Amino acid sequence: MTDLTRQGVLGPPYRTALKPYGRALVELARARPEVVCLSGDLTRQCEVDLFQEQFPGRFIHAGMAEANMIGVAGALARQGYMPFVHSFGVFTTRRPLDQIVNAVAYPRLPVRIVGFMPGVSSPGGPSHQAIEDIALMRAIPGMTVIDVADATETAQVVAAMADAPGPVYLRLKRGEIPVIFPGDHRLSLDRAQVLEWRGAEMDGGADTSSDVALLVSGMMVAPALAAARVLRAAGAVAVVVNIPVIKPLDTATVLAVATASTAVVTAENHTIIGGLGSAVAETLAEAGLGRPLRRVGLQDTFAEGARDAPYLFTKYGLTTQHLVDTAWSVLDRPGSSPRSPTLPADVGEYAPV
Amino acid sequence: MNADATESGLRRLATAIRLRAVAMVAPQGFGYLGQALSAAEQYAAVYGAAYRPGTDRVVCSPGHYVIAAYAAAAETGLLDEAALASYGQNGSSLEAIGTERSPVPEYTCGSLGQGLSAAAGFALGDRLAGRGDVRTFAFLSDGELQEGQVWEAAMFAGHHRLSRLTVLLDANNSQVDGPVDSITTIEPVAAKWQAFGWDAADLDGHDVAAIATTLAAGARAARPQVLICRTSTRHGLACLPPDADGHFIRLPADLAEAAAAELRAELGRLAPETTGHD
Repeated sequence: MTDLTRQGVLGPPYRTALKPYGRALVELARARPEVVCLSGDLTRQCEVDLFQEQFPGRFIHAGMAEANMIGVAGALARQGYMPFVHSFGVFTTRRPLDQIVNAVAYPRLPVRIVGFMPGVSSPGGPSHQAIEDIALMRAIPGMTVIDVADATETAQVVAAMADAPGPVYLRLKRGEIPVIFPGDHRLSLDRAQVLEWRGAEMDGGADTSSDVALLVSGMMVAPALAAARVLRAAGAVAVVVNIPVIKPLDTATVLAVATASTAVVTAENHTIIGGLGSAVAETLAEAGLGRPLRRVGLQDTFAEGARDAPYLFTKYGLTTQHLVDTAWSVLDRPGSSPRSPTLPADVGEYAPV
Repeated sequence: MNADATESGLRRLATAIRLRAVAMVAPQGFGYLGQALSAAEQYAAVYGAAYRPGTDRVVCSPGHYVIAAYAAAAETGLLDEAALASYGQNGSSLEAIGTERSPVPEYTCGSLGQGLSAAAGFALGDRLAGRGDVRTFAFLSDGELQEGQVWEAAMFAGHHRLSRLTVLLDANNSQVDGPVDSITTIEPVAAKWQAFGWDAADLDGHDVAAIATTLAAGARAARPQVLICRTSTRHGLACLPPDADGHFIRLPADLAEAAAAELRAELGRLAPETTGHD
């Protein structure tokens, strides 16, 4: 049995932090003179106005020209710089895909590609909703793909990814970032983590045996934690595993948790094709581990423009209730699924839909 | 460097590049010979008179042109000439479309339109690092101007006044589907680059002395420079049929033999003993 890594979590509503990424990049740049920062006309939105203020000589306006930005970054990396490239996730992956392949990934250069506003966290419609960025980046040989859950992990991931081999894609929530993990949380790029409430076992015991394993990443960590609570109150034990690194996937933890569970549910703020759900399915199938699997995420559809993200999370099946319903269904429990209470959140706080 | 940077030396180098390219393409009977024929003087001027190995950088944006870089490098002692025999063969690092493992240029890419971004990145990085002396020479082709990324990079380089960046644009009016001007009107080429903040020279791309002189002047320029080199994919080989496809020339054994003989004869005419040093 694989030793599992366990991490405590805080409870909702979560307080939020502003610009954890931007501050972490400034910190890294202080220690690492090779760090340079490129921005594609979204400097404040990508929190690198902080970098620009501190290191104007190492900040490069690429303008609205993402293909060129990636090519310039590749050449800078060849000279020993470590370029961090910034825009929204759609514009750092979908638009310059061929440039990422040829100018960055094939030569295995340490370019760090950062894409903000993942999935339907943007109400800006399909042009601004990165719903297949993980799938695109995961398909590229040698690319590390990261989708962190909160401000604590965001603050740590910048230094952690600096030393990852080859290129890295990091997708980040924009704006107010929830604090789900306590300050002593330690992000690992190697290990997925079984999450547990402080002072209360989430997973039904030290052997992690559970009815359903919720394997989740990024913005789906908070709803998964809430769903696990609802399920447990209804008599179904759910274990929540935070998987910040989609590639390379910690298959040992996935298999260990799935082995000890009756069913598996993945959840991602992304299309169910090519991302975390696909990676887990491939892992289970190749191991010959038969477990009923359901993938929560965008069901092979584009979303739409709207006023706010909670509407889109609800419409496209990314809420706590969707997770509860999916788990209840895959476990074939009788009756209707338990109801998820609406979690209150004041201004400046965050609670999953 | 073994090159003779006089005009007659550069003319010999250009002819030798053509001869090497014929020898590289001949075993397969077809290949990217037209690129070497149109760009031979540009590669001769850079490798023979401007490029300082170990200091300067060369980007070959259209990877299909790497045949000319291999040939120029072999002629100037930068590449073992025996390696040329492996051009395009299974397992060889001298791939026909330049890749990461290709020797000679600092950067080459088969996906067209991307090289100028890399060249701008090199020039910017050298400036950030205080390496003000380093020049970056970027070989581009006219068909690539259809790619939007070229103009993203041109605007970027112009804005940053990357004066140590020089583009040699092979304007051979040839792309896969036919003459460039029958596919897309790219003229006025010089005015476009000038509008993006570049110094632009429009010249006969088979006048190697003019290219070398313009490259030398570019070392003192205040802005990035582009040399628009007007060329033909059949230049230097009278034996080629008039309808030869410039992108991918068919070169059966008898034609390869005739081409090699023609170029060897030309090299003989250009030999230092007969032309003297000018």
